[in-house]
Amino acid sequence: MAQGLERSPIAAKLTRPVSGLMATTYRWVDERLGVTDLMHQLLYEAVPRRGAWAYSLGSATLIVIILQIVTGMFLLWTYVPSTTEAWESLNFIEHHDEFAAIVRGMHLWGAYILFIVIGLHMVRTFVSGSYKKPRELNWIIGVVLFLLVLGLGITGSMLPWDQAAYWTATVVTHVISYFPLFGTQIEEILRGGPQMGPATLTRFFAIHIWLLPALLVPMIGLHLILLRRHGEHGSWVNYEGVEEETEVERSRRMAAAEAPYPALPSDPGYAVPVDLDEFFPSQVFKDAVVSFALVLIIFVMAIVVGAPLERAANPAALNYVPTPEWFFLPLDQLLVQFPQAWMIPVGVFVVPGIGTTLLMLVPFLDRTPGREPWRRPEVMVPGLFTVLFLVFEAMLAVGRLFNL
Amino acid sequence: MAEAQLPRSKRRMSRRKFMIMGINAAGAGTGLLIAAPIVGSILSPAFYKFKQPWVLVADIKHVPVGVPTAYVVMLNQGGDAWQVPPVPRTVYVVKVNLSNQVQLITLSNVCTHMQCDVHWDINLNVFFCPCHGGEYSMEGTNIAGPPPKPLFRYQHKLVGTTLYVRNVLTEGN
Amino acid sequence: MPLLAAATPQLTQVPISTGVATALVALLMLTHVQFAAWQQGGYIILAVSDFVGWKRKSERYDRFSKGLVTALGATFAVGGSLAIFAVMILFLGLWAHFWIDVQRVLFWPLVAEAAAFVGEIICLYPLYARWDRLGRVRGLRVGLEVLLFINAELQMLLINMVASYMLTPRNAFNLPAIMMNPTEIPLEIHRMVGNIAWAGAIIALTAGIRLLLRSGHRPDVRPYLDWMGHYGLIYAIGFTIAQPLVGWEYAKEIQLHAYASWYDMMLGGLSVAFLFQVFLLGAIFTVGIFYLWRRVRASGFRSPALAVCTLLSFGAWMLISTPSSLAWSYESVFAANANVPIWQGGLLIPWGAMIPWKLTALVAFTGVTIVALTTYLKYVSRGKLRWGDAGRGQAISLIAVGVAVSLIMALMGFIRENSRGPFLITNHMLINQQQNYSPPSSTGPALQGPASNSGVSVILPVETHP
Repeated sequence: MAQGLERSPIAAKLTRPVSGLMATTYRWVDERLGVTDLMHQLLYEAVPRRGAWAYSLGSATLIVIILQIVTGMFLLWTYVPSTTEAWESLNFIEHHDEFAAIVRGMHLWGAYILFIVIGLHMVRTFVSGSYKKPRELNWIIGVVLFLLVLGLGITGSMLPWDQAAYWTATVVTHVISYFPLFGTQIEEILRGGPQMGPATLTRFFAIHIWLLPALLVPMIGLHLILLRRHGEHGSWVNYEGVEEETEVERSRRMAAAEAPYPALPSDPGYAVPVDLDEFFPSQVFKDAVVSFALVLIIFVMAIVVGAPLERAANPAALNYVPTPEWFFLPLDQLLVQFPQAWMIPVGVFVVPGIGTTLLMLVPFLDRTPGREPWRRPEVMVPGLFTVLFLVFEAMLAVGRLFNL
Repeated sequence: MAEAQLPRSKRRMSRRKFMIMGINAAGAGTGLLIAAPIVGSILSPAFYKFKQPWVLVADIKHVPVGVPTAYVVMLNQGGDAWQVPPVPRTVYVVKVNLSNQVQLITLSNVCTHMQCDVHWDINLNVFFCPCHGGEYSMEGTNIAGPPPKPLFRYQHKLVGTTLYVRNVLTEGN
Repeated sequence: MPLLAAATPQLTQVPISTGVATALVALLMLTHVQFAAWQQGGYIILAVSDFVGWKRKSERYDRFSKGLVTALGATFAVGGSLAIFAVMILFLGLWAHFWIDVQRVLFWPLVAEAAAFVGEIICLYPLYARWDRLGRVRGLRVGLEVLLFINAELQMLLINMVASYMLTPRNAFNLPAIMMNPTEIPLEIHRMVGNIAWAGAIIALTAGIRLLLRSGHRPDVRPYLDWMGHYGLIYAIGFTIAQPLVGWEYAKEIQLHAYASWYDMMLGGLSVAFLFQVFLLGAIFTVGIFYLWRRVRASGFRSPALAVCTLLSFGAWMLISTPSSLAWSYESVFAANANVPIWQGGLLIPWGAMIPWKLTALVAFTGVTIVALTTYLKYVSRGKLRWGDAGRGQAISLIAVGVAVSLIMALMGFIRENSRGPFLITNHMLINQQQNYSPPSSTGPALQGPASNSGVSVILPVETHP
């Protein structure tokens, strides 16, 4: 305990007597709650020294998710989840409640930024091979988190019950009806009846507000616990020369490693980064800068662009052109590319299903020894083509939708 | 080995085992009691049944032959008013000249691919779906793009020249 | 419209026939496009190579980047002159009406295009003239290369607006609609990917030829040439992998928005040229994978996986080159059942009217090449290939891929220009209007956009506003 206090700058700062009364009060609380211990546990950790800006993406994701939860909470102060009043309540926000409109804008742009940051976070992890032994499960949890966030994005876009939301909900629920055997039943369960109606909105509201976050938050906790258990892997720049070192050098390095390293079981040499740094303040500073920049972008976009609200849902629409949210454009293009009868389920379930499964299994498919991307063509080449494919699909979808 | 021959500590284990089994059983029972009604309520929409009344569309005496004409009707969907309230829907009234007799078809404007809204496009002379580029002929037959089926048709009833439809969809040819 | 009507009578026609004029323009433009594509693809390869050379301190990459920048500087001088010559002499002299129309419709994109030319010179010249001195601040040099690449990307985006507008024009008064016309994005991706492949093919071709020369056998040169051939080929076939999907998507947009051109290419008179085109595509993949297989073998490794890939690719090549018929006319299309869906006993499948075995072959090419490339790179990344082992066969394979890519580029230009015929701008302007042109009356053909009527006769108000 005493040793830990010395090593933790924040603990030292917090236990320093500021003034007589303050210090006494703090000590009283600390003895009962263990604040110092907790702060120490949270902030004292060794992290890889090199490439640290790239590792701030994970904490940026966390910050934006927290932003989403907070802004979402306060959107509920006005929003009414009903087909007759959802649009009205948001219309009120947009026209009579400037601050709530900013909150709504931040919730939307937060979601957009979240997708970008999660994407970059995944690419970073993929390129640096951080998912390798012993961090396989954390990669899988990360993929599940990504899917949950996609689900949150799509259910969230249904809630305003404007034209865009209504037709998104229609298409998304109908996509599921192509599932073999039980498709129609699942569609009716999700819609709460044979067609779109009030039950559809309340269901997706419940899924967006409770079901998915209730899964998301514990999964994030698990993700962080596992991160802390194995320590950050960093990227290949932190392991230069580890494959050439002798057995003695290696064991000496591992013995000298600070918590949470060495991460075991791992490939020889990769249990500890060559050069370590303090999580607090070195990494936290970079995390804070990146997170602040992102929240600033979200804030500015919320004020400058805001969140659009189209006309209220009209099931009898004739000339409305439903367009998916941008992060679903590649999937939408697949719907065009797999036309008619039995091929629709292939485009809807088989292709994305195979893609997701392969993404989850990446740690088990990648049997390469090193960490450098150019030494792992087995995963880098297919990975590059997958990303190119998704980008091209999105671009083609944009071109197609623009020319309607 | 018989139970009595075991040392005392091992026999205690069987008591432990019993309690662990009890915990498991109680846990499963609790879960079941909570889950059963939830699962039931989740699944019930798949088994709803509704009675559909006839709804007035319009007098269609002046609808020209060969020009699909859109009407908006409030389809009274029967059932509970909250669950399935009357919803505005577009009905395309199509008079087609088939072997010298005019046929009346009441088409739904819901695409059979992803249920987007199709409209009659006079440039292409087809029902066009903007979502994924599906195309249907005037009779509603799917002729190009992803749609797997022809446009659905509303059941209709003619009283003189006044058209009624009801929210029962039949598959096109 | 009055602008064009007023401007037209003052134009002096160059007294040569339409055929000669068309041939001249076609020859010059095709050459120009080849140059431009090489520049564009070369810039990105340059940026990547220099960056890798910097970060991995690789002498081989440094040497290659320096050679590449010299080549790019020289070819830019030639290609740029060609472009100016094309605009000044040929367009103004021979195709003035077309040029006026394009100038009016796409004025601002063309101004930006000209500005981007200046940007290209500003970025490229220091790299060309002061390569080593810039190398002292390596980040600056790489940054300049990235700028150069972005600039070239922008240039292509802008000129693709003209190219795609000619095939699928939109309402002439709606600039965003013209700029984002239906084939713009597919063409953009198709060319972006194709240009990188083309630049890679040129590099491979150069290496292949030099490997065969006597000077290429010197022990100080041979390992480098061997590596350079491999490096170019990776780009050439790696980026061609994307082409079946993107090209199919491009063709689908043409089918939707310029049906006559599509029909001509796929089923009409140009279908033979298209058949040769897919033959060349198969050749690129098959010879490319064959190279990978033999190159690994030349360093003493047997790779059954690469052998199987070569075989599969060869099978797909034969499959895709099989004509449903030589469809000179609609009768032969009809005879081959190429116009009947597969469930009625014909050859069409729902993927936008495609013959089933051609689709199978395209999918096979994509999959097999990804597998082959990955397998091959595994050998390279584990340091198993010794550069300098390449034999005569590999050199010839490299040359073959280079020639095939060059041919496919030229053929594609030929098909693109001819598919529009007799139009220069689909449904707007005829080719022979360039030589014997009569000024249009009040509403000229050049300005008639497609009507944007929704075509719904609504009796009751449909949109109910709350």
